[in-house]
Amino acid sequence: MLRSVGVVTMCVVAVLAAAVAAIGFRAHGAEIAAATFQGAVPALALRFAVTPLSAPFCALLAILTTAVALWCMRRGAPGEPLLIALFTAAMLLVLVARSVALFFIAWEAMSLVSAFLVAAHHERRGVRRATFTYLVVAQTGALCVLVALTLLAMAAGDTSFAGIAAHAARLSPGLRDTVFVFALLGFGSKAGLMPLHFWLPRAHPVAPASASAMLSGAMLKVALYGLLVVTLELAAPGPSWWGLALVAIGTVSAVGGVLYALVDHDLKRLLAYHSVENVGIIVIGIGVALLARSAGSSALAGLALVAALFHTINHGLFKALLFLGAGTVNEVEGTVDLERLGGLWGELVWTAPFFLIGCAAITGLPPFNGFASEWLTFQSLVGGLSGGGLTVTFVFVAAIAGLALTGGLAAACFVKVFGVVFLGASRRIDARPAVRERLDASTTGVALLAGLCIVLGVVPMLAVGPLAGVVGKTLGLVVLPPPALPVLPVTLALLPLAGALLCVVMAARRSIRFVPTWTCGSPVSAAAQYTATAFSKPLRTVFAFVLLPERQRRYEMGSSRWLPERISYRTESRYLVDEGARRFAAVILRFARRFRLVQSGSLRMYLAYALAALIVAVGLAR
Amino acid sequence: MMLLLAQVLSIAALAPLVQGVMKRLRANLQGRPGPSPLQPYRDLAKLLNKEALLPHGVSPMPLVAPGIVLGVAVTFASVLPIVAPNAMGGIVDVIALAFLLGLGRFVLALAALDTRSSFAGMAASREMTFGSLVEPALLLALLGGAALGRGTHLSVLPDVPFGLAGMLAFAAFFLVLLAETARVPVDNQETHYELTMIHEGLVLEYSGWQLAMLQYAGYIRQLCFLVLAAMLLPGGAEGWRHLPWILGLMGAVTVVETLFAKLRLFEVPQLFGTALIFAVASIGLRVLGGLA
Repeated sequence: MLRSVGVVTMCVVAVLAAAVAAIGFRAHGAEIAAATFQGAVPALALRFAVTPLSAPFCALLAILTTAVALWCMRRGAPGEPLLIALFTAAMLLVLVARSVALFFIAWEAMSLVSAFLVAAHHERRGVRRATFTYLVVAQTGALCVLVALTLLAMAAGDTSFAGIAAHAARLSPGLRDTVFVFALLGFGSKAGLMPLHFWLPRAHPVAPASASAMLSGAMLKVALYGLLVVTLELAAPGPSWWGLALVAIGTVSAVGGVLYALVDHDLKRLLAYHSVENVGIIVIGIGVALLARSAGSSALAGLALVAALFHTINHGLFKALLFLGAGTVNEVEGTVDLERLGGLWGELVWTAPFFLIGCAAITGLPPFNGFASEWLTFQSLVGGLSGGGLTVTFVFVAAIAGLALTGGLAAACFVKVFGVVFLGASRRIDARPAVRERLDASTTGVALLAGLCIVLGVVPMLAVGPLAGVVGKTLGLVVLPPPALPVLPVTLALLPLAGALLCVVMAARRSIRFVPTWTCGSPVSAAAQYTATAFSKPLRTVFAFVLLPERQRRYEMGSSRWLPERISYRTESRYLVDEGARRFAAVILRFARRFRLVQSGSLRMYLAYALAALIVAVGLAR
Repeated sequence: MMLLLAQVLSIAALAPLVQGVMKRLRANLQGRPGPSPLQPYRDLAKLLNKEALLPHGVSPMPLVAPGIVLGVAVTFASVLPIVAPNAMGGIVDVIALAFLLGLGRFVLALAALDTRSSFAGMAASREMTFGSLVEPALLLALLGGAALGRGTHLSVLPDVPFGLAGMLAFAAFFLVLLAETARVPVDNQETHYELTMIHEGLVLEYSGWQLAMLQYAGYIRQLCFLVLAAMLLPGGAEGWRHLPWILGLMGAVTVVETLFAKLRLFEVPQLFGTALIFAVASIGLRVLGGLA
């Protein structure tokens, strides 16, 4: 009952989001379908409106909500759909908010509802800690957002976004930069940009899969929407260092995210790190767009922004797919630990191929959607490589190298994930009979996302066309996508596909004989398969200077001195950000201890403090 | 269109010969008589007539992987700027090429993991490691060779003036070539020692016509890399003028294989780092030199 109500509510929100998106894509001006609720205080007026820029985000929201609702019909706890519906509604509210007060209320609602989602299993201590970390980051970020928006509203003397945008050209450079820094802190921490990403890998493993799909697929994107609104509209036009800073931060996030994903063996945490990576790729696109805009090359700005928005949509699709797949794996196997999974291809006969599509898409393989948007991002980087001075060239070359490395490492990571979880033989210890998965509502939800990954990959113009329109209306220019784009994915995939078919035909005609795996004569055992830890070992060693791996080996000796009975091996990475935070916290705590003297804990002492403070205040005021 | 077909067919026809010649040359340099240069054709014909074996319980991935890898190799052969105008080369650029090569690697590594063999898993791990490390160098070397301000299409490669920047881009690409064609400082095609092999380990479970497909794809890819490297050297717009360079490169690769020993696994990344530095320097020179 609770589940049905929740799913129906989710569908209602999805329809609403789709309607808003449809209005937004057709909008010609800056705002359409506007409504203002004027309260007693003019500064707190609530203004709703649809803008072209919010349309792609609303469309993504509608698709993801539908897919997650389908998944929730069969899987997950019954209470989840209703909370997710509320969460989606809050995100939709952020996207249509066009005044400071409404934006902030919606932003806070989004943060708080999502905190409830993260805390779904609050009976576990780790979950409570993760929720606390998330809340601290979310509230600190919200404060930064509030400061940025308030500074803008004070300068403009108007709290509606339209009023602020109209005043944007007259902002003083100092104020503009201050606003940018606060916006970057607030929205960047929510989006999971390094080094403010640390809440993501903590919150995702403990949140239910459906919530993770929405958090990673949609909420990070809403944060990026906020960044876009501030940098392209409210505080535009920014100086060139904004774009350069975003390209640099994006590159660090992309490479750092994928490196940590590579060494992680909790499937959901690994996917969370990939969100950090992909947000980095999107932010590179945004950075190039800002830089090109400040340099006056509008064609490049349009291309880069289309790339960023396209990758935003794509990442939403395949990341939600992967999280829902991970949720299915978790329900079937009871774990998402890569070391204990294996050979699920034969059981999850529907989820496995869809998950493979998600893996291929996130890796950027043609002809899936991730390829098209990553290719566009590369194009915009190459386009901006020359003609911007030595600093720009240096940052852009680093970004191209970083992005290429990211692509390769992501491929390694998803070969590991898919190869270990779905291929090979099962690593299950208890011999439970395999249950074939049936095609039901939850698999249909995953199938919907997988289908979109293919459709947008094969026919990228389906997304790029409308997005070019949105970017054109937002930046006031005409965007021409590269002429090769419409046929590129098919051109690349045609012959490999033909080759695959050739193999199928050959196998049908000449029949393949199935034999035991060649193991040099020793018995074939599932334990002899390569594990995830082993698979990532070479890269862990190569990047040891970032990952700081620590390994522990323990030998349990039995009767013999020379032959151990058990060897246990553990490896863990120390996280640079955590290490830094720990040192910072240690310094703070040391100072805090000095102030313990005044904290006696006695009520009378505190009353005396209050009295003293009052006397001082009155004395000063006189 | 006919010209393009001729280009692909001639690459496909000559690729095993190139492998045979290089193998013979290497043997002679090492003081062995070596097999006939035509041996790869005979090997392929023999394998094609043999039945294929696969491990029990595998997914369809190992079945289709050889075909996908072969398809990737043939697509690679079609985008090279040998005939002009090249319709495929007008669509597929340097960046798309890097993604395309990634597709073949991804599929083959997954197939290897599916075979449940520890050797294949180890090889998959190493292949993906080196594949990801070599990708920045590959992309930047080709960009340094060509793309600044001229677009990212491969067809601009033969027209770019050669200079110090071109030399650096070529040096970077040559190191990439050694890695991508499984040559000695990185890998060794001749070995089946489990601790050293990378590419041979990946295809360890393959046999019969499937192995033939994989080996043939490898030959085509190797020739494509040689052609691409030759394009980075001075020559002119017509593709056939690069033929002497291709022969020279075949010799150079063989000499490198004879003179050098295989690097330790964890020293290979330094090779890629060197390639990356060459490529970045090449781009830097092009920007400073106003060629952008």
